[in-house]
Amino acid sequence: MSQFIAQTLNGLTLAGIIFLVSSGFTLVFGVMRVTNLSHGAVYLLGGYVGYSVIGASHNFFYGLAAAAVSMAFFGLVIERGLLPHLRHSEMAELLATLGLIYVIDDVSLAIWGGNPLSITLPGILGKSSTLPVDHIVYPNGRFFILGVAVVIALVLFYLLHRTRIGAIIRAGVDDRDMVNALGINVRLVFTIVFALGALLAGFAGVLGGTVLGLYTGGDSDILLFALAVVIVGGLGSYGGAVLGSLIIGLVDNYGTAYFPAVAYSILFIPVIIILLVRPQGLLGKVTT
Amino acid sequence: MSSVSGRAGTTTPQGGGQRALPGPHGQLTLTALEQSRRLAGPVAGAAALAVLVTILTGGGFASTLVLDMLVYAIAAMALDFLGGYAGLISLGNAGFLGVGAYGYAIAEVHSFSPWAAVGVALGVTLGLGLGLGIVAVRVKGITFVIITLAIAEVIWGLAYQWVGLSEGDNGIPVSVLPSIGPFSLSNGLTLRMTVLAVFVVIALLLVTFVRSPFGLSLRGVRSNEARLAALGYRTGLHRYVAWVIMVFFTGVAGILYVFVNQLISPTTIDFSANGLITIMVIFGGLGSIWGPALGAVAMVLFQQELSIYLSRWQTLLGFTLIAVVLFGPQGIWGLVRAAGRRWDALIGRLQGELAGAAGQESPGTGAGPAGGSGDRQPRRRGGWLRGVPGLAGKAPPAGSPPGAGPARHGAGETRKP
Repeated sequence: MSQFIAQTLNGLTLAGIIFLVSSGFTLVFGVMRVTNLSHGAVYLLGGYVGYSVIGASHNFFYGLAAAAVSMAFFGLVIERGLLPHLRHSEMAELLATLGLIYVIDDVSLAIWGGNPLSITLPGILGKSSTLPVDHIVYPNGRFFILGVAVVIALVLFYLLHRTRIGAIIRAGVDDRDMVNALGINVRLVFTIVFALGALLAGFAGVLGGTVLGLYTGGDSDILLFALAVVIVGGLGSYGGAVLGSLIIGLVDNYGTAYFPAVAYSILFIPVIIILLVRPQGLLGKVTT
Repeated sequence: MSSVSGRAGTTTPQGGGQRALPGPHGQLTLTALEQSRRLAGPVAGAAALAVLVTILTGGGFASTLVLDMLVYAIAAMALDFLGGYAGLISLGNAGFLGVGAYGYAIAEVHSFSPWAAVGVALGVTLGLGLGLGIVAVRVKGITFVIITLAIAEVIWGLAYQWVGLSEGDNGIPVSVLPSIGPFSLSNGLTLRMTVLAVFVVIALLLVTFVRSPFGLSLRGVRSNEARLAALGYRTGLHRYVAWVIMVFFTGVAGILYVFVNQLISPTTIDFSANGLITIMVIFGGLGSIWGPALGAVAMVLFQQELSIYLSRWQTLLGFTLIAVVLFGPQGIWGLVRAAGRRWDALIGRLQGELAGAAGQESPGTGAGPAGGSGDRQPRRRGGWLRGVPGLAGKAPPAGSPPGAGPARHGAGETRKP
């Protein structure tokens, strides 16, 4: 039982990290119809930047901030420098971001090398505490990650549903042309959303670096999590990202714990089921 | 005073009552142009085949490189068949290649005879294609890309994690290859010629499929599915059949891969390997069958040769893909097509001149493609972005061919901005 509780907590932690990555991915797709395959690479790059800044400043939170800000800037550069030249062709954008993966991965390999790196949490976050249930000893850092993910999920929800910019973003998901026709600067909204997605990915990179580690190929792993989440939850749906992250995070963790030989493949069982039963995803809208 | 040069600007005004002077010369030039246009493809193909045979019989490092190119060319052409003609671009073909390769290797480990192992590999690939197709071709565009990638990652995950079956990270070495009578694939020359033969057969099959009524209706499904469906075509079945053909041929490439390399390991089918095959197709030119084969040649050279001199070749690879997407979405084959168009335009112009000279109807104005017999209009094939849902850009493709006349878009093709 205590094993199961610990695995569930692990799954929720993973779901938190996956949520931070997939929420940006799904928002960018929802608003801009851009499938940013390099989102996983941005996650990993953010983690590496955070690792270096933490190494230099000996402060975890500086690393977290540096990763988030630098990746937001990087997202800004991609959104302003690359995407406008692709004439809003979805497949061209997808392929260009595929090219970006090779560039980011290779440059990361050149700077940080091929050995896996790990980020350690500071102070009390690096310790473990004993839970009242079954006397499970569980690392505080994972609670911290889970808490941060929940807080960010709530902030994003507030942002999307209670603010003007959120209303514009939601309207953009539904009908981009109409938003444009209303005189709103859709171009600026795109940039904000894309930079926000990259910011979240970089942020998640540092948090993920404490649990999953930073390693070559870690970007495609996290990208696949994000893709599974958006298929299950519905491409472009924020609620779908929350729900999908929970499903994928838990399924992956139970799979790794109880069926290690096929863990990675079990992950895609919900994906296949969803595709057969509800191709638009659990909370996705039917596109016309 | 002759229009043999074929330039529209040099059209000679015809004197009244005289026989058309440039007739015989012009006719000769026209025939020569038409013949060379017709023969250019076969001659280039024969030359390429001769070069391939020469290199492959020579052996050595060059032949190993060419074998790699041929194997990946099969996978790339299969991807192009589905991507370029049905509009479904896969990002998971290294995975299907892995199914063929692992199918053979695992069957051999379980002491199947070599030919039985080939049968197992083909059967597993076909079964997988038939089964997954039910799910995969339900979606189009971006979602299809994502799903093929997901399928490939499942295959990679099994190869990496299911150590009992796949021997995990180490991969499975293959030592026993099939043989018929005196011909054994363990013999280098026999193997090389077999790979070449399989490549040629699959390439010709794919070209035949593409030109067949099935291939044409497949393009119709891509351009305007609703119309094809209204005409009574079973559009879903078209996509399904094309998908199965794609998976099966890629699996065949996988069997050849394991014959050539005598090892299959998860690195062959990881994320970047999947991307690489898709890049071959985009680089070569989507929707041309031969272009992706050239793309495979270029990418294998990139990977094997450039990596010797340039340790950061993957960065260059990434930038190359971005540059192709930005500046030349038609890929290498776009250049070949542009040359063909110029040729066609030349022929059309000459025809126009001759028609004008013979008809005497409108002296001096018979030049130009518009005056041609009409069936020689330079034909513009669909750009690679066309037809895939939500894929077409807003702006017309830059650099429309001169003299293409009214662009022949797929009739009734609707575009959403």
